[in-house]
Parts: sequence; C-alpha cells; structure tokens
Amino acid sequence: MLATVIGKEIRDLIGSTAFAVTFGVCAVLILLSFYVGAANYKLAVAQNDASEAENLRQMEGLTDWFSLEQHRIFLAPQPLEALVTGIGNDIGRTTEVKTRGELTAEDSRFNEDPIYAAFRFLDLNFVFQIVLSLFAILFGYDAISGEKERGTLRLVFANAIPRATFILGKLIGSFVALALSLVVAILLGCCLLPILGLHLTGDEWLRLAAIIVSGLLYFGAFLTLAVFVSAITQRTSSSFVALLVIWIAAVLIVPRTAVLLAGRSVDVPSVDELAAQKATFSRQLWKEFRDQLNSFKPSPAEDMEVLMASFNQFMDSVTTERDRKMDDFAGRLNEGRFNRQKVQERLAFSLARVSPAASLSLASAKLAGTSVDLKNRFFEAARAYRETFNAFMKEKTGMNVGGRMIMFKSGDDEEAPEPIDPRELPAFRLRAVSFGEAVAASAVDIGLLAFFNLVFFTGAFIGFLRYDLR
Amino acid sequence: MQTTPTNGPLLEAVNLTKRYEDGVLALDHINFAIRGGEVFAMLGGNGAGKTTAINLFLNLIEPTDGEARIDGIVTHKEPLRAKERVAFVSENVMLYQNFTAVQNLDFFARLGGKTGYTRDDYRDVLLRVGLAEDAHNKRLKGFSKGMRQKCGIAIAILKDAPAILLDEPTSGLDPKAGRDFLGLLDEIRAEGKAILMSTHDIFRAREIADSVAIMDDGRIIMQEAASALGGRDLEDIYMQYMGGHRLQAAV
Repeated sequence: MLATVIGKEIRDLIGSTAFAVTFGVCAVLILLSFYVGAANYKLAVAQNDASEAENLRQMEGLTDWFSLEQHRIFLAPQPLEALVTGIGNDIGRTTEVKTRGELTAEDSRFNEDPIYAAFRFLDLNFVFQIVLSLFAILFGYDAISGEKERGTLRLVFANAIPRATFILGKLIGSFVALALSLVVAILLGCCLLPILGLHLTGDEWLRLAAIIVSGLLYFGAFLTLAVFVSAITQRTSSSFVALLVIWIAAVLIVPRTAVLLAGRSVDVPSVDELAAQKATFSRQLWKEFRDQLNSFKPSPAEDMEVLMASFNQFMDSVTTERDRKMDDFAGRLNEGRFNRQKVQERLAFSLARVSPAASLSLASAKLAGTSVDLKNRFFEAARAYRETFNAFMKEKTGMNVGGRMIMFKSGDDEEAPEPIDPRELPAFRLRAVSFGEAVAASAVDIGLLAFFNLVFFTGAFIGFLRYDLR
Repeated sequence: MQTTPTNGPLLEAVNLTKRYEDGVLALDHINFAIRGGEVFAMLGGNGAGKTTAINLFLNLIEPTDGEARIDGIVTHKEPLRAKERVAFVSENVMLYQNFTAVQNLDFFARLGGKTGYTRDDYRDVLLRVGLAEDAHNKRLKGFSKGMRQKCGIAIAILKDAPAILLDEPTSGLDPKAGRDFLGLLDEIRAEGKAILMSTHDIFRAREIADSVAIMDDGRIIMQEAASALGGRDLEDIYMQYMGGHRLQAAV
C-alpha cells in the first residue's frame, strides 16, 4: 500500500507540466551556478597569480634584503568558493607583511570590482536557499488541501488505507520525486566542474557532497513544512499564503533581523575607536622613544665600527621594548574586540538559526571554507607567516627588525652587488580546511536542518491524522 | 465479478446520528437496511443529510450516536475492514488529472487491494462503462464530466465490493449519459451488489430504485419500497412530504 502511494506521488508530480517547467528552470539555474562559479574562480585565480607575480616583480633589482620595503601575501581563492561564495568576496585578499605592527587585509573583490557587489553572484548556495525552498513550497502547498479540493482525498479514503500510510507515502514520494530530479541536475553540474577547469581534491569533493546533503536537508525541511501547512489548512489558497509569509520571514527577515538584534544587544568597539586609542598610546611611546634616544651617549673615544654596533644594540633594545609595549596594548584591544565580536556572532547566529535558511548558509559556508572564520584563519596564518618572514629577514640581514644605523661604503673599484632572489622568500599558503574539520564545524547547522525535517514531518503526520477528509 | 448475496443487509444505518462541533444536527437517528441486489435512493434537498450519511459509511466522520454497518461491520469501529467491502463514486469525480484513465484505474485498484489486473482488464471495464478506447490512455485533464464519471464507475466495478455508495452520481450528466449510467447501475445490481444512492434526481430515482427515502433536516421523513408507490408520481410525493414536514417543523 505504501509503495502504491509513493509510486502514485512520484508519477503525479513528475507527470505534471508545472514540474517540467519548474524543474527546467531549477536545472538551468543549478547548471548556471556551477558555470558562473567555475568561471569566477578561474578569474579570481588569474587575478591572484597576477598579484603575486607583481609582488615578486617589485622586488626585482633589489640588491639587499634591507631594501625590501613592501612584501605582500595573498589569500588565494578557495576552490569551493566557486559554489559557495560566503564572505570570500567581502574580505580583503592581501596583507602587507610588516615586520611589526598590525596586519590589515585589503583589496576585497567587491572593493576592487564594486559592480559584482550590486547584485552578488549566483552561487549554488543562493540557488539552494531561494530557488529550492520556493520549489518545495510550489509542490507541497497543495499536497493535502489540494487533494481535498479536487475530491481525490475522499475517493482515496473510500479504500482501506490507513491515514499514516497515505501521509508517509506522500512525504516520501514527493521528496524522492523532487529531490532526485534536483540531484540529477546537481550531479550534471559536478561533472561540468573539471571540464570548466575547476579541479577539486578528494577532500573538496567530500565537502561538496556534504554541501549537497545540507541543501537536500534544507529542501526537505521546506517540503515537509509545506505538507505540514497543507495538512492543517482546508484550502490551497490559505496554505499558499501562509507558506509565502513563512518563506519571507524565514529566508529574508529572520537572518537579517538576528544580525541587527545581536548588533544592538552586544556592543563591539569600532575599528576607528581602537585605532584612536592605539594612536594615542603610540604617540606616548614615541615620546618615550625620543627621550630614550636623547639619552644615548656614545663614548667619544670609540671608533666608528664600535659606535655603530653599540648604537644598533641600543636601538634594538629600545625598539623591541617599544614594539612589545605597543603589541601588548594593541593585542589587548584587539582581543577585547575579537571576544566581543565572537559574543555578538554567537548571538546573531543562534537567533538566525530559527530559520532553516540561516542554518543552510552557515553550514554550507563552513563546509566550503568561506564562513566568517575565513578572515580569522587568514590573519592567524598571516601572523604565523610573519614569524617565518622575520626569521628569514634576520638570517638574511643579520639584524633584528627596528631602527638601526647603516653605514654604506662606496668605491669605483668595487664589484656591482648581486640582486636578491625574491623566490627565496618563504611561500605563504593558507591551509585548507579538512573534510573532518568542516563537518565538525557545521555539525550544529546540519543537525538543525535534520531537526527541522523531523519537526515538520511530525507536524505533517499529526496534522493529517486529525485532518477533516470530507 | 459476481458477489454472493448474504442473508443480512450489506448496508445498514442503525439510529445513525451526527451532530457537528458547532451544534448542527446533520443526521438524526436514521435507520435503513439495503440487501444485496437492491438500490436504495436517498432523496432530499441540500443540507438534508444525504452526504453526511455517506461520509459516515466511509468513516470520514464518526457518528455521535448509532452505527453505520457495511456487511455487518461497524464502520467507526473497524473502518479498514468495512472499507474493504465498499466502493464509492462521488458527485464530481476528479481523479488524478496528470494520470491517464488506465493509470487512475490501476492506482485505485491497487488501493482497493486488487493487484492482479492487467491492461486488458482495464480496457474491458472502461469499454463496459462506455468510455471509447482512444480515451483510455489520455490524461484526464481533457475529460468531460461524463467521461470522468465513467472512470469513477469503472473504479467502483474493479474494486468488486459487495456494497456501493453513490453520491449524486447523475448530477451534471447529459440525458444520454444519465440513461447509460442507469443501465450500468442495473447491471451492477444484477450482480448482487447493495447500492446506496443519494440524489436530487427524482426521475432517475423512480426509474432505478428498489426503495426510496425522502430526507429533510437530517431525518428520513418518508421511506417506501418502490413497488409500494404504485402509480403515484414520486415528484408529487416528494413535494407533499417536504411541504408537510416543513409545516410540521414550523408548527
């Protein structure tokens, strides 16, 4: 009996003209999102390669490492950013590696090309979040009330079929029919990726599979929600209007409102406030530094070499102390701000997770490696890189970073100095998130999506057991 | 598809009563019994309680008092067993519009527990109810009401249940389709089925029914065997009873 109802549901859905049209549109959008994503990724990789090459080119001709005034590292595009953009286009993609001081990310994609920010990219996450939820509503809003209006419900229940079997068959049948057709389109898109020049590693394929599973759970949540609403309303018009209101609230209002509420509830000091405090402290340190410089009294009897060594030692000592104080102060401020941001973020995400749309966005961005953590990961990696860079520079120049006195000798008979080889610089690479890490990070949101399915499924089930079949 | 007539009634209402949650008394202690090979026509205006009675037999609603029995099984106590013994044709048979006539028959036959039918069986039954062969594999979207009604009757025939419930089966049918329908009903009765038909159509009820009941305000105000009506005009009787009952109710 269950198989009969499932089979009927699949045939009824797939056989309709509305399905053919809607599925066609969805399939085109899914394939388009893969195509656009792959094309954008290739463009971003090309831009990143060009920027890195330009960074190295600027070092050409330098004859000593002291002269290296500007060295930049770049956040290479994440391959799965092609499908789930996340904050990939919003954060700065490069930072200047200074031997001391704070690191700041600059040149976000949207900053460089604001035209893309106007309408954002069509990515797989957008298709899942907007199109799939509407697709689910479109085919679920009349699942029960529509059968009642058309009179088929009465005819079906003139037979010895338990209500539980019917609703179970309906839910399974409609999910299988709609989800399988979407999976076909998604798999086609996956096959296109290598052809479009986007080669994923095994780990990235696994993460993409988890993104697709999240998308299907999200789709299932909206489908079961639609059947649930249909099972507690008597008219298709009522269930459609109710679902439209829920969709607007869940997809458009709740996530944004959650961020606004969290922003109002948890104060986070602005970057400008912090910068002002740091500048005041820095001025104070400079004043102390000048006083210390004035206190340096070289012994007049010493020769020039000894004088320079003594001065450099003195400078190393005071600049290291000054930098330590500045770093401590800035570190405390930054940590305070970071902690407040984390509280704000946790509150915003907890509130937003009332909506399956927010859970999907958070889960898929974490799986793709483009969540808000990307910025932190970039800075952590950049700070770690700076240590390596400073060690490299000390090895090359023999000096600590900071103020120093350099004596240049010149003479016609000297050989021209050899240029430095910029390729000797340590390479910067952001470690990719592993499949295990990504799944662990997104477990709460994937679990929530499964929970939404369970809640709405139960609602539809109970709603139908009490439904007026007349 | 012959049903062996049983001794007892196949369809039976015993003090069947339904009061809705809003207090409306839709059915007030009605009693009737229909044996195999009998057609029982319930006549009455809108809101008389005819459809409520059918809904109670299908256990789509539960009675407030009394029982509806199908082949001796109380419908609200053993609904699934009771429904195995009844087929239903609704007023406006819609069926699944994206399915062909054959696909609809196949789905409902399986729901009715009949899984052994072949395409030939479906063709034969559709031809028997008068649906032209070229329409068998067409989607129901383009079907007229008469064609859909024929599919509905075919579904009831395929179920091969001892009892059949018909809710306004001739409503909206053209005269020829109505006459064809009565011919078919006659054949089904001859197979020994008990048929309960609710209708507004006095003329067709007179033509086919073995017993007639007139309902008003949830009560059976007149119940007679067709043979007992003699040469009297059923329309006159209907108007007379309806007028008398309303006057009585007003007094």
